[in-house]
Amino acid sequence: MIEYVDTLLPYITTILLISSIYAIFSLGLNLEWGFTGLINFGHVAFLAIGAYTTVMFNMSGFPLFLSVIAGIVLSGFFGLLLGIPTLRLREDYLAIVTIGFSEVLRFILLNEQWLTRGPFGIHGFERPLQDVIPYQHYNTFLLIVYLVILAIIYLSLERLVRSPWGRVLKSIREDEAVPSALGKNVFWYRLQSLMIGSAIAGLAGAMLAFYIMYIEPNTFKPIETFHAWIIIILGGTASNKGTIVGALVFYTFLSVTQFTNRFLPFTAHQMGAFRMIVIGLLLMLLMMYKPEGIFGKKEELALSD
Amino acid sequence: MQLVINGLVIGSIIAITAIGLSMIYKTLNFVNFAHGDFVAFAAYIALFANASFGMNLASAFLIAILATIVLGVLVEKVVWRPMRRKNASRTTLIIISIGLALVLRNTLIFIWGGSTRNYDIPVRRGFEFFGATITLNQVLVIIAAFILVFALHCLLSRTKIGKSMRALSDNIDLARISGIDVDRVILWTWVIGVGLAAAGGVLYGLVTAIRPDMGWYLLLPMFAAVILGGIGNPYGTIAGGIIIGLSQELSTAIIPTEYKFAVSFVVMTLVLLLKPEGIFGGAK
Repeated sequence: MIEYVDTLLPYITTILLISSIYAIFSLGLNLEWGFTGLINFGHVAFLAIGAYTTVMFNMSGFPLFLSVIAGIVLSGFFGLLLGIPTLRLREDYLAIVTIGFSEVLRFILLNEQWLTRGPFGIHGFERPLQDVIPYQHYNTFLLIVYLVILAIIYLSLERLVRSPWGRVLKSIREDEAVPSALGKNVFWYRLQSLMIGSAIAGLAGAMLAFYIMYIEPNTFKPIETFHAWIIIILGGTASNKGTIVGALVFYTFLSVTQFTNRFLPFTAHQMGAFRMIVIGLLLMLLMMYKPEGIFGKKEELALSD
Repeated sequence: MQLVINGLVIGSIIAITAIGLSMIYKTLNFVNFAHGDFVAFAAYIALFANASFGMNLASAFLIAILATIVLGVLVEKVVWRPMRRKNASRTTLIIISIGLALVLRNTLIFIWGGSTRNYDIPVRRGFEFFGATITLNQVLVIIAAFILVFALHCLLSRTKIGKSMRALSDNIDLARISGIDVDRVILWTWVIGVGLAAAGGVLYGLVTAIRPDMGWYLLLPMFAAVILGGIGNPYGTIAGGIIIGLSQELSTAIIPTEYKFAVSFVVMTLVLLLKPEGIFGGAK
């Protein structure tokens, strides 16, 4: 019994850690898509910018805290850069440009070896308080810190979307003609939403780097973006609570299905593909039959033209 | 010269695959992110018919196009038409297309694995042409693309269905009240669009390795061609495809080859910044 607990506890810690990181990542996207109606298909780019910036700043001598701040700021800045050419146009241009950006960024990370060590990735970088916390308790420490960060992000986002600023975002999502008739600068509000969402993804990137201790370009494939989309839609678009629950459900599913190839006659490689087919079907079926998700409200859906 | 030829070859593939993307984008008013995976699907069916059943490439080509059209029609009937009935928004359709792309690509990986393949055809030596080497396959791609574009032109300008397709992509409500059977024309738009994507996919397999993600990496150049040519403008899309193909290949003279892919992204972003309706006109 004791042994059982000994293996189960670290396993649960792992799932909770991964879920909390991707919950924060998805909360950023939920602000953009759920509350503002922006289709960002390149959200993973900001996770990558956050992770790489934090690690590289720290390795070139900046204190860890400042490096994380740099990662957050730079992610937000790239959100601004991408928003400028696309947010005045139809919503689907943002989808095309962001997905292109995330792939181009991955190519740069892969090929500019002098800067990023390319496909070899970076490891052996500093983690917060690594000299103070004993190694065997480090994940527990990280989990407590991450849950606190998640709580802070959640509470601030909840305040933000209930503020007058948040109400303008929602009105843009519903019908941009109304807020612009009231004299609101729709473009600027969208840009702010994209910047904040991207900065939150940057923070999640730094957190991911500290947890996995190794970053390489292929950690940041487009599929990570779509994981976040599924998490949001599963939990209920425009519900921050739903996003957190969605992340927990999704990563528990991913992690548990790693053992299912014992029951199915697939090779490991086929199992990976099979999992992605299930995820793709899930996304299609949710959008077709239950677009409001588990916790969402039908009237909160940004699905009207 | 070598770069120009390579650019023309890849450009004609981008052009014919992107036409379908452009037509569906305009007619059904959404970006189909699964379009590239139809391209890859066709290449795999051709590979399967050719390598596993020993068919010659011409019959494999036809079978692949037919199979892909069947798939496209199936998806239209099971997914897109019911969603139109529900008045689903553009964003809903875009997200569904992402799900569909994941399903298609991973089905290919599930069946055929993730490694690269090639058609079972004899490798012939290329011949010299103004100091550049051009292979028979490359010639074949360019000729086939010309024939397809010409056939499409005849279809759009001469036949009733082609004219209805253009009317629909111009204004769907106006087309409906003037008595056009909208569902039938949309079905034909899928048949033509997916059929061209399939043809492009089989041809692409002639000049590159066949991989499950070959369509995915073609998606960005296709988007760039569509935006450059103006959404819903087939002739603009063809020109856009050739321009993207050429600029991708010519760029390798000055920047590392790895960044070919980035060229379409840069071109696309510049067009969106400066002339979002495309350089040949189209929907904004």
